[in-house]
Amino acid sequence: MTVDQVSAEIDRSAAQADADRARAAVRPRTSMAARRHRAFYLFTSPWIVGFLLLTIVPMAYALWLSFTTFDGVSPHWRYVGLGNYRELFADSQTWDALGRTGLFAVTSVPLSITAGLGLAVLVNRPLRARGLFRVLLYLPAVVPPVGAGLAFKALFDQNSGAANGVLTLFGFDALGWLNDPYARYVLLMTVLWGAGNIMIISLAGLQDVPRELHEAARIDGASAWRSFRSITVPLLSPVLLFQTVTGVIASVQTIMPLLLSPDGTTQGVTAISQSNYMYMMHVFAEYFALGRYGYASALLWVLFVLILGATGLIFKFTSGVVFYNVDPEAKK
Amino acid sequence: MRSHAGTPPSRRRFLSLLAGGTGAGAAVLSGCALQVSSGVSGPGETVTLMVKPDDISPELIKQAQRDIGVKIVAVRYDITKLIGMMTSGSPPDLVRGVGAVDAPYFAARDVMEELDPYFASSSVLKVDDLDPVNDLWRYDGRTQGMGPRYGMAKDFSQDSMYWYNTALFDRAGVDHPPETEPVTYEQWLESARRLTQRKNGQTTVFGGSYNGVLTPNLLASLTVSAGGSLFSDDFSRVDFTTPEARKALGWYVGYCGARVGPSIIQPDPNGWDGPTYQANRMAMSNSGYWLGGVINADRNLAPFSRLAPAPVFEGGARVSPCQAGTGLWMPKKARNKEAAWRVFEWFFGEAPAKERAASGWGIPTLRSLRPLMPSQEPYQAEVLRVQEAELKHFSVIAFTPYATADSLYGLFNQIAPAALRGHMTVDALAGRLNSVMNEQLKRGKEQVG
Repeated sequence: MTVDQVSAEIDRSAAQADADRARAAVRPRTSMAARRHRAFYLFTSPWIVGFLLLTIVPMAYALWLSFTTFDGVSPHWRYVGLGNYRELFADSQTWDALGRTGLFAVTSVPLSITAGLGLAVLVNRPLRARGLFRVLLYLPAVVPPVGAGLAFKALFDQNSGAANGVLTLFGFDALGWLNDPYARYVLLMTVLWGAGNIMIISLAGLQDVPRELHEAARIDGASAWRSFRSITVPLLSPVLLFQTVTGVIASVQTIMPLLLSPDGTTQGVTAISQSNYMYMMHVFAEYFALGRYGYASALLWVLFVLILGATGLIFKFTSGVVFYNVDPEAKK
Repeated sequence: MRSHAGTPPSRRRFLSLLAGGTGAGAAVLSGCALQVSSGVSGPGETVTLMVKPDDISPELIKQAQRDIGVKIVAVRYDITKLIGMMTSGSPPDLVRGVGAVDAPYFAARDVMEELDPYFASSSVLKVDDLDPVNDLWRYDGRTQGMGPRYGMAKDFSQDSMYWYNTALFDRAGVDHPPETEPVTYEQWLESARRLTQRKNGQTTVFGGSYNGVLTPNLLASLTVSAGGSLFSDDFSRVDFTTPEARKALGWYVGYCGARVGPSIIQPDPNGWDGPTYQANRMAMSNSGYWLGGVINADRNLAPFSRLAPAPVFEGGARVSPCQAGTGLWMPKKARNKEAAWRVFEWFFGEAPAKERAASGWGIPTLRSLRPLMPSQEPYQAEVLRVQEAELKHFSVIAFTPYATADSLYGLFNQIAPAALRGHMTVDALAGRLNSVMNEQLKRGKEQVG
């Protein structure tokens, strides 16, 4: 064997050893990654299966129904293509309900966020019995909506409610709170009554605001209001954005008018006052009272698209005013 | 071949994984669905009943097992759930229904089992013994009240009759209504006005409640009472502009507008008359004999409560219909029909039926059970006398098969409040109701074929 051949053999052996080492190094890594992936899918599979069965399948089914005249029982229901959607856009009740829902959202969301933030600022101060105040203010948010609906119905009943009891005590005439035009104000009150939920989230956000920024601002001569406006609010902006988005989604899907209605059932949805006849009430009416599953499904799909659109718009218009407290280096 | 280990799964692989999971989940779910009505369970039969909790108590369910050896699985009545079960091919074996309005609707859609052969061979439920109210559960493909039987009422009331509180009448100085002769609807409303008490804009005593079981069948009944018919001959249209229907609608608008009783513009927070009447805050309640279940159980109220005949319209017909006739029907695709019929017989003709008859909650639907109705106390005997006299005026008022009563009720509620508050004339309301209800009936007729 020549020197060159020996040298070549050594090189081949070295290359082989390198390749073996590389394979040995890679194999455990890849199998570990594979295990991680398997574990991920294994642990998330209950949710994924649930999501598919309970969200995607019903949504797809509702989409299919929205192209039909299906009413659940009748034998001769048929495919109508976009007929339900065309009818929907020509239905004045849909537009009226949508308008009321939009008005409710633009009123109730800012009001409840402001109220929740105000309460959070209050209970964030070094008060006596601060914990008790926090619990008491949060308590209404723990009450189930059905309980809240029943309580408000009893409280604002025209003939036996405590609200009119107070009015008549001071010589005023009793009001039909649960009828037009007052019903909308009772509905708003139920929203504000549950502001403790927003308070808790805002409180968590407030406690995340670095104290030294406020101290620095105070040294620079900033007033409390200026400090709140220029430090607290910008640092809370991701929290406020979250509350706005979830608030809008919840308000357009509110079922509280149904709980405040005399009947309180989905069949009796049409008996609710006109001022509280929101989009979801219209869906319930078409679905449960009129038995128009196809048309109601079309209404729901339109609502889904509207919610997506509204959420997108909120993100777009707030992108310049929401500040995330993230270390820029961490992104790399 | 290059290994995929360590790389994220492809979309196809991911979807196939999900599809596997979905399939498994669907199998589990479909297994659950099948279990609802699988027929046989253990030594005896199992029958699925879709009812409301008040219809059959847990004790009665246990009693069924003892009495007839059938296990009852009760599913809470919910129309959406019923439709879901029927669509998936696993309907309950027996379903609760309101005969006056559900029977033509479901029978026209061919989802109800004809029960004539079962009745013919039954030793418990004999056709001769059936009260005419059970005709509400008959439908011949065109008109309710004729043709095959599709169900049976568990008890009934002549729902245009009303109870009144003699103490409140006396306090207001209003004469009691005659025992067996009807007052006119106008007189009833006038009495209600005089009986109503208000203070600072609050109604402390409602003069009278007159809403029927559901507004559409109330209006259908009122129209017949005025001498006409709300529906066209083929039940495919309503017409509120005929003189009789206009009279009926005008009276009801007047009743709501006077605010003498609960209505959609003055809702009762209790949702029904029982608690308000019981609290001595309602002088008259048109709930029929059925409310006796509440009244008989209240020793303080019963001696002051009387039942009065259904009012009439001047010049109209004297009719005293049943607007509900709640009972059970058997879906055509029920899996355990024989056992279901045995439960049907037991529920309508044996221990539960006897217990209901004696309770005062409605009139028994078998004539042979009438002697069990409460009559021991003098006021009970008086009530029974009025009720027995009224039975002569019972009639079936046929309802349309092309729409549910709920749907017509929903449309009425959407249109009527403006008229009830005086912002729309009765004639304009009649026109609007014709328009929206006939659209709904047209859709229903297309779907029935």
